[in-house]
Amino acid sequence: MSSLRQAATNQLRAWAMRRHGRDSLPISIHRRRIYLLPTRFGVMLGVILGAMMIAGLNYNSNLALGFAFLMSSMAVVIMHHCNRNLQRLSVDVTPEVDAFAGREATFEFELRNGSNLDRRDIEVRCLSAAGMGNVAAQESGTIEVIAPVAQRGVTRVNQFELRTRYPFGWFYAWTYVQGLITIYVAPSPAGTKTLPSAGAKGSGTHSEARGEEDFSGLRAYEPGVPLKHMAWKVLARGGEPAVRNYSSLAAQPEWLEWSVLEGMDLEARLSQLCLWVLESDGAQRPYGLRIPGREIAPSGGAAHRFACLRALAAFGDGET
Amino acid sequence: MITERVSYEQLLGISGCLALALLAHVTTLPLWVLAIIGVCGLIRLWLARSGRSAPPRGVLIIFAALVMPLLFLRFRTFNGLVAGTALLSATAGLKLLETKTQRDIYIITLIIYFVSLAALLEGDSFWLLAYLIGVCWLTTATLLRATSSGPAPGWRRSLRFGGRVLAQALPLALVFWLLFPRFAAPLWQVPNDSKTAASGLSDTMSPGDINQLALSDEIAFRVRFDSAAPPSQERYWRGPVLDHFDGHTWTRSTSGRGGTPPPLQPQGPAYRYTVMMEPHQHRWLFMLDWPSSWNQPRAELSNDYTLMDPDPLSRPVDVVGTSYTHVQYSEPLKPRTRMRQLQQPQDRNPRTQQLAREMRSAHPDDMELVSAVLGMFRQQPFYYTLTPPKLSDNSVDGFLFDTKRGFCEHYASAFAALMRAAGIPARVVTGYQGGTLNPYGDYWILRQSDAHAWTEVWIDGRGWTRIDPTAAIAPERVESGLADTVNADDTLASRWQRKTPWFAGARLRLDLLREIWRERILDFNQDSQRKLLEMLKIPEPDGQKLVMVLGAAMALAFAWLTWQIHRGLAPPSKDVTARTYARLCAKLAAAGIARKVHEGAEAYAMRVAQERPDLADRVMALCRHYSSLRYAEPSARITLGQFQAGVRAFRPQVRPQGFRASSRI
Repeated sequence: MSSLRQAATNQLRAWAMRRHGRDSLPISIHRRRIYLLPTRFGVMLGVILGAMMIAGLNYNSNLALGFAFLMSSMAVVIMHHCNRNLQRLSVDVTPEVDAFAGREATFEFELRNGSNLDRRDIEVRCLSAAGMGNVAAQESGTIEVIAPVAQRGVTRVNQFELRTRYPFGWFYAWTYVQGLITIYVAPSPAGTKTLPSAGAKGSGTHSEARGEEDFSGLRAYEPGVPLKHMAWKVLARGGEPAVRNYSSLAAQPEWLEWSVLEGMDLEARLSQLCLWVLESDGAQRPYGLRIPGREIAPSGGAAHRFACLRALAAFGDGET
Repeated sequence: MITERVSYEQLLGISGCLALALLAHVTTLPLWVLAIIGVCGLIRLWLARSGRSAPPRGVLIIFAALVMPLLFLRFRTFNGLVAGTALLSATAGLKLLETKTQRDIYIITLIIYFVSLAALLEGDSFWLLAYLIGVCWLTTATLLRATSSGPAPGWRRSLRFGGRVLAQALPLALVFWLLFPRFAAPLWQVPNDSKTAASGLSDTMSPGDINQLALSDEIAFRVRFDSAAPPSQERYWRGPVLDHFDGHTWTRSTSGRGGTPPPLQPQGPAYRYTVMMEPHQHRWLFMLDWPSSWNQPRAELSNDYTLMDPDPLSRPVDVVGTSYTHVQYSEPLKPRTRMRQLQQPQDRNPRTQQLAREMRSAHPDDMELVSAVLGMFRQQPFYYTLTPPKLSDNSVDGFLFDTKRGFCEHYASAFAALMRAAGIPARVVTGYQGGTLNPYGDYWILRQSDAHAWTEVWIDGRGWTRIDPTAAIAPERVESGLADTVNADDTLASRWQRKTPWFAGARLRLDLLREIWRERILDFNQDSQRKLLEMLKIPEPDGQKLVMVLGAAMALAFAWLTWQIHRGLAPPSKDVTARTYARLCAKLAAAGIARKVHEGAEAYAMRVAQERPDLADRVMALCRHYSSLRYAEPSARITLGQFQAGVRAFRPQVRPQGFRASSRI
């Protein structure tokens, strides 16, 4: 039964995809693309309402009949309410999501409610995970969906679903949005090898001087900096958290090389490189990444880190 | 979500709703069923209070194994209305005990809805309907609270939402109710639960039976005459005729019931009327003495002229009938019938038989004898009282010679017994007499307190003649407080009303409302639907047209509903000022200078002034108006009307003269 349902759902999803094509986000949900079905309790309610009507007719009781009709009309009203809960809701989503293999990807869906009605219990489903939230009238809200990702690579989500059972859970209304979300799943950071610079002392073209000695100034704190680089004195004087900058960090870029890890398994190599990226980033050391088909010039900062991680994620992916 | 645990609060809410729904059944359900449900609910609430979960399944099975057989023993079936309701309610109680997750709450909600409906199958008052709609409102609000994810919405909010949903459902429900085709006959025979005890008169009469009714204010039936009502002394509503006497009790004999009633020759005017019967669980229908025609095809006149329905009356019914208050029997009494109407136990009431023999010898003529007996009632100290002394087996002897105090049944019984002993065929007729006119609705109300017993004696050449011995009692011997009841036009219940006229008026008005409720709502049927269609100017209404009208009305109701529900979706409507300004912008755009999205009113006006110097003055002025209306204090010199008029009058040309001239160069 559930497989039948699954098959029907897949058919419908494919049909919605063909019918609406790729949606440009943000999209306001039109009533034509909202589907609605009774839930299990809705079906039960329907049976009871039918029994109520037949009882009223059979006993020829106008009051009972009126009551049954009132309840049935109420169910119809609720159906409209359920449908309305999604209508004209504007949806947007961050088109690119970064994650590590084996952990979760966090999708942030931005819902804008331009109407005068509160939207309650809006469920967003994406990659077999779901998140739920309310959006008050004339407000926006973010619903996070946290989905586990197992495989390294670039995953593209072509469709996500908005669903609601509000009110009463007698009906559920849903819609498919054909928005493209690209998930860059970086390899899970792992490996036993130390950074090339630390391991191969004296080799390469860079100065051998240990950077820690050459203090060259302060910069703003950012998370992930080694504790020993913290400028504690500044903090103690009541200043903003700061980090001591070392000339060597700025001066000597490190190349994280694919070729250094010769002989290892492909995924293990990528994992090792990923770990190095994170370590170098944490150590505030400029680094570059060189993998087959891709070379990223040495630099630092969050944007660079993401570029490197995405390069690792996309390794072997035909489209990149 | 569905498997979410229920909280104490949710349990309390749903238990409360169930209790309120069951309150409507408190008179019909056995008390122990209600007690069991109550115990289940309390146990579960106590468990939830102390943070524990539902009891294990075993406990539940034991409970169910106890309750279900008990129910079956009590009702012998689960098919009837009361039995079904009891079963359903007990299930709800057990479910309450078992409640763990939201799923259970849903199921209890459905049971609440159905139990409420079942109450409406039994009762029919407006208040019951209002109460049950209230219960469902509350249940709906409770359900909303229980099914919302996250923190439950507040009670006020939930109730407001439930109220809005009900209000939105009302038009559609009304359309359905008015136009949904009704069955002419039920799908299956409704099991006849003897759910309500038979009320009113029965087919036996012992001394003391009717004076109990005299205390009851309950309405037996209402009557509307097509034209003038007959005078009070002719308004006898014929019920069961009792022709078998055992010395104490009169009963309706079962033998010799068959056969058509003897033909009657009507004399005097015919009265056409509608009797609106309340259900009394007996087969007879009360008609004005003597009925000649009626509109119930299944009902038949018995040979003693009582209209009988084949089934006990379990729901209100309207009978349209015609009666003649004066008739003549054209056939002599058959010997066998005469024998039966003379029957009485020879060994009972010896003094009465002795008296009858004495009076007979003194008055050989039947009518004279009747007058003599009535004269005896009038002259001897016979009292008319609501509280007569108790009588032994020889009740007629006791009444006539010892107590001499009685109510109508004593007099009717004694009179008929005397007649029979004297050799005149006689029988007791029970029914109602008189009634109260409701001047607000122009109909008569007959209450149980109008119940009456009188006699009929067979006079050769005249046939059955009505004799009401109670009417012969001297007025001064009517016990105080019963003054109204003698002229049976007024009832005991109206005694108080006479003293407080405003109360009587209010009471009659209330009864009129009840009558309207009954006629318009409870008795709404195919005929009413046909009349409704006729009112809508639909020629020759039939079932097919009804369905078509239903479809059309449903489409309308749906359109209204859709509009009603979706209008909240539109972004808040701009105020008039903004709309007027938007019109100005549209006019300027048509003239070739469209406002840019980011442009404020001021900046836009400046730009227009630069590009179109010919429009500058007017546009700047209008823009100032707009700004002052929109952003300044309400006391601005410019009114909205002036601004609107200005914008309406503003008709910029697409290109000014000068511009065209220069472009030509």
